[in-house]
Amino acid sequence: MPHPGWTDFSFDGIGTRWAISTPSPLPGGIRRRILASVADYDAVWSRFRPDSLVAGAARQPGRYELPPGAAALGHLYRTLYRLSGGAMTPLIGGSLEQLGYDAGYSLRPGGPPQPAPPWEKVLDWQGAVLTTRAPVVIDVGAAGKGQLADLLSAELLAAGLDEHFIDASGDLLNAGGEPASGRAAAPVEVALEHPYDPSRAIGVVSLGAGALCASAANRRAWGDGLHHVLDGTTGVPVRTVVASWAMAGTAMVADALATALFFVDGPRLRGEFEFSWLTVYSDGHAEYSADFEGALFT
Amino acid sequence: MNTSLRKSVLVGIAGLSLAGTAAGCAPAQTPAAQADTPPAAATAGAAAGAAGYTDGIYSADGNYTSPNGTETVGVKLTLAGGAVSDVQITPHPSNPNTKKFQGEFAGGIKSQIVGKKLDEIKVSKVAGSSLTSGGFNQAVDKIKGDAK
Repeated sequence: MPHPGWTDFSFDGIGTRWAISTPSPLPGGIRRRILASVADYDAVWSRFRPDSLVAGAARQPGRYELPPGAAALGHLYRTLYRLSGGAMTPLIGGSLEQLGYDAGYSLRPGGPPQPAPPWEKVLDWQGAVLTTRAPVVIDVGAAGKGQLADLLSAELLAAGLDEHFIDASGDLLNAGGEPASGRAAAPVEVALEHPYDPSRAIGVVSLGAGALCASAANRRAWGDGLHHVLDGTTGVPVRTVVASWAMAGTAMVADALATALFFVDGPRLRGEFEFSWLTVYSDGHAEYSADFEGALFT
Repeated sequence: MNTSLRKSVLVGIAGLSLAGTAAGCAPAQTPAAQADTPPAAATAGAAAGAAGYTDGIYSADGNYTSPNGTETVGVKLTLAGGAVSDVQITPHPSNPNTKKFQGEFAGGIKSQIVGKKLDEIKVSKVAGSSLTSGGFNQAVDKIKGDAK
């Protein structure tokens, strides 16, 4: 619970655990709407279920109409694809499957690492319409959880529930009162999980209104040096960065930038995004923007 | 623009002829610095021996060319037991934009992260990698079991 006396609504969704904290318990109708939104998102984007929209795109090329939110997601991915020189890509699903991160969780490599297909060659993502020229395994895991947090937050705001805190299992969104009401979100002290030891933290940061998302190589990891953050140009897990954090106005942007920090250094991303960042490298040193100054333990 | 600044500042460190020792503090991703702009002046608090580096405090100014013209940063290295024990970077910016970027750089590197037990910290939330739901963890456990 981010604040004393608040209550949690917890559930499983899109492959992880969620908790939505509010000052008073969420009404049943709102809970059902939240769960329906989660199910809708999963039905479009889960590459782990055969009836999803992206599972269709993995079987055959064609024109796929996505929900309206997909336009912002596509734009964000396109920008980061450019900034990372193709390393961060929504076409990474095939490379993940190759290393064993597939629908059956085989977790056994099917062969040598396999680069993702170049965006220009196989994918046209215009607004909320995807047109593919080959069967492609789309994986929006780098930003999807954040986007769903934003969508759920919008759902709560629409119901007049201004004050809420969404914890998508380590990716956090602190929504405050409407600015017009003069109530800003009360800041929440957040520990930054140690990349090599989940029982430890490397620092504490105060999260005001906005999102704080993390990406790390420690949990979704299997086998010999295999984890889920792959370089799309090679299909190999990134080894120079072990954990990253990003704070931004929306959870979708913070989530995507946390992954982008595995490929692109913070100052370069700051050229195009308003956000704060912290990157921990595999040699144990950290680099960060001014907002993380003093956050790390000494 | 920011990237070139970062590299240039590292050139300043490498220019002190301590590149091998200082590499431990340099970002893992950064390629070996190309010394296209050597430091303007170097003053050593202690003389370096031929065989190795003498402990002491070394400082130097480094120049680099930014889109705003030539800028200078001060670099201070502390050597103890033959290893760099401290690096301080002092911005000498000549315009506000540079000040902002240099300030971010000077404050933006920590040589080693330090962990504290979560139960020693008073927080209500943890930001980290996502817990995974049942399937993934079960599969990992199974592989571990098979490997025994």
